[in-house]
This record gives sequence, structure tokens and C-alpha cells, in this order.
Amino acid sequence: MIVEKVVACHHCDLLMDPPKIIAGEYAHCPRCHHKITRLHHNAINNLFSFAITGLILLILTTQFDLLILNLNGNISGLDLWDGASQLYFGDYKILSILIILFIFILPILFLAFVVAFILSIKTGIGCAMQTTLLRLIFFMMPWAMVEVFLVAILVSIVKLISIGQLHLDWAFWIYSAFCFCYVKVLSLVDRYQFWHWIDEAHQ
Amino acid sequence: MIHYCRESAAAKGLANCHSCSLVSPIHLEQCPRCQTRLHLRKPLTLQLTMAYLFTALLLYIPANLWPIMITEKLGQVESSTILGGIVLLWQEGSQPIAIIVFIASVLVPVVKFIVLLLLCFSVYFPQRLCPHKRLKLYRLTELIGRWSMVDIFVVAILVALFQLDRLLNVQPASGAIAFAAVVILTIMSAKSFDPRILWDDDDKKRSKSN
Repeated sequence: MIVEKVVACHHCDLLMDPPKIIAGEYAHCPRCHHKITRLHHNAINNLFSFAITGLILLILTTQFDLLILNLNGNISGLDLWDGASQLYFGDYKILSILIILFIFILPILFLAFVVAFILSIKTGIGCAMQTTLLRLIFFMMPWAMVEVFLVAILVSIVKLISIGQLHLDWAFWIYSAFCFCYVKVLSLVDRYQFWHWIDEAHQ
Repeated sequence: MIHYCRESAAAKGLANCHSCSLVSPIHLEQCPRCQTRLHLRKPLTLQLTMAYLFTALLLYIPANLWPIMITEKLGQVESSTILGGIVLLWQEGSQPIAIIVFIASVLVPVVKFIVLLLLCFSVYFPQRLCPHKRLKLYRLTELIGRWSMVDIFVVAILVALFQLDRLLNVQPASGAIAFAAVVILTIMSAKSFDPRILWDDDDKKRSKSN
């Protein structure tokens, strides 16, 4: 067990005493106001439930169409794979791989790793993997663009509404709910607390 | 010899682990908790930031000049650039969306270029702008960076929906790849910038002003 005597701010390198906070409070750097840590009520259980819900919703999204466009009798649907797969079979393989990484693979791995991490903390199985899991989680966080894709869907809806009859299908609503869970997970992920959970589990 | 601010961890020879935030003496070389290599500051931070930034800046030219999307409508072929698409949206009467797309794909990259260049140069002229303001600018670039991908995703959605052969067919074009590269490079540039170097001269400046 490692006992911290000091902490330093990631944005201005100010040395300070380790924050002592209770649930619901958050600690920030006195010089640059960078958030050091935030302790949510019941964080670990909430995080687990939102991450699991997000995973299920994301898998469900792939099963239905996001949008259906009726253009003078020509009906075309769009699901999560279509955007990337159409590009893949054209000449733009790199672009399609990037898109599928940003909107599907990275978010699903991120949520799966969060779930795996919490399970390993709770059960004590696979302690050796915890550091690797955490490193991967924080590496992937800035590259998953779930909410950007939702805005892209909204922009294309406005572009399309004048061209043909458009209606939103099941997956659109499921995907919106998934975005909510995903953003909730992001707000609960806290580097400082995560490493403390590992320390506590190893006690 | 690099000067570190008196209150900073680096001045006492302590390094803050990138990965787990454990503060430990730099001579250990590896973090005792997570075995990541320790650095006082991100290594080569200015060089890497500038390298990614200038690559992105170069790619930004074809990203705007080349078409990002080719539309084939009843045999007529039309190509549209990023700016052309925004103008078209504005003329068609969907001004709010035109503004959103303009912010995401023109304003955000340009603001990021300016802010990151400013931050890199400000390290050599620290008296111009106080670190608090510069740090706010840095946080802004971190926050807005990903939103430029909106345009690429819209192209992908339109390509997937319009595959009606001759009647209406949409294909991506080379500008889209250049633009995606610009977005990714600017995100990498912002990630390799270490905001802690903005504070290293802070106490020198204060002792001068007193």
C-alpha cells in the first residue's frame, strides 16, 4: 500500500497536501483551479450501472436503423455500420476505419474496460490487469466521439428533411439514450479516485 | 538548466506520474505504483506540439481546396468543398445549421491553430499574458478539438444514405481524408502540449514586479 504525502496539479505542477473530501465534494488546485478529484455519492455503483446500460444500448443500436429516408419511393435506411462500411467498399478504407474506431470500437472497448475494471476491484480477480486496464481507459477517453456523432446525425437530418420524407427509427432513440449513459460515465471517471480504488483493493 | 517555479513539484525533484498522479522523486525513473516512466515535464513538448501543428496547418490547405463530397444527381456530377457546403446550407434557408457547421469545421480548427501557436511562442515571451489566461486558452483547445469531426461524420452518413445509382449518388472525396487528418493532428498537438511549462517562470516574474 502506497501512502501519498503530497499531490501535484497536472496543469500547473503546484505541490499540495492530498485532498481530504467527503462524498459530494470536489477538490481543485488553489492556483489554477484545475480539478484534482471529485468524490460522487456511491460513485462505483453508479459508474458500473451506467457503463453496463451503455454497453447494452450500444449493442442494441447496431440491430436497428437510425434513419429511414423515403425518396420518391426509393427507401434507404442507415444503421451504425452503414456509414463506415459504404466507405470501406469504396476507395476510402482509411476513413471508414477511422470512423468505425471513433464511433463504435473505442466507445465499446472503453465501456467494457470500465466494467472489467470495476468487476476486478469488487471481486479481486485479475489484480495484475488493473493497471493496464486503467492506462487503456485513459488513453482511449479523448478519442471516442460518441456525442460528436449524435450532432452529426442531427445536422444530416436537417440537411435531408428538405430532400425527402425522413423518419427516425428505433436506433436513433436508443443511440440518444446511449449517449446519455456515456456522458454520465465520462463525468464519473476520475483518475485520482480510480487509483485509490486499486490501493484500497490491495490493502 | 531549466528553471522551475518555486512552489512546483519539479523544483523539489518530484515528478507527477502521467498515468496515476502519484508524486515520487524523479531519480526513481519509474513510478512505484504503475511502472510508467517518470518525467518532470512531458519530453519534447514544444517540438512535438509544433511538429503536429505545422503538419496540420499544411494539410488544412488541401482540406479546404479539395472537395470533400461528390454528388451525382441524374447524371450531373457536382463536387462540394467545406466552405461551399456551408454557403449552400445558408442559401437554402437553414442558417442555424450553417452556423453550427461553420463553427465546427472552420472556426474550431482556426482557433486551435492560433491558440496553440500562441501558447508555444508565449513560453519565450512569458511577460505578455498571465499564465491563468493562457491556461484557459489551453483548456478551450482541449474541449473544442473533437467537434470538427462533425463534417466527416455527416459526409459518411450522406454517403450511406444516397446509394441510388444514377438517380442520386454521393461519394466522399480526397478533401475528407485531409480534413480528418487535420482534426486528428490538432488533437495530438494539444495532447502533447504540457501546460505546466506555462508556470515555470511565474515566481521570477512576481519577484521582479515586487
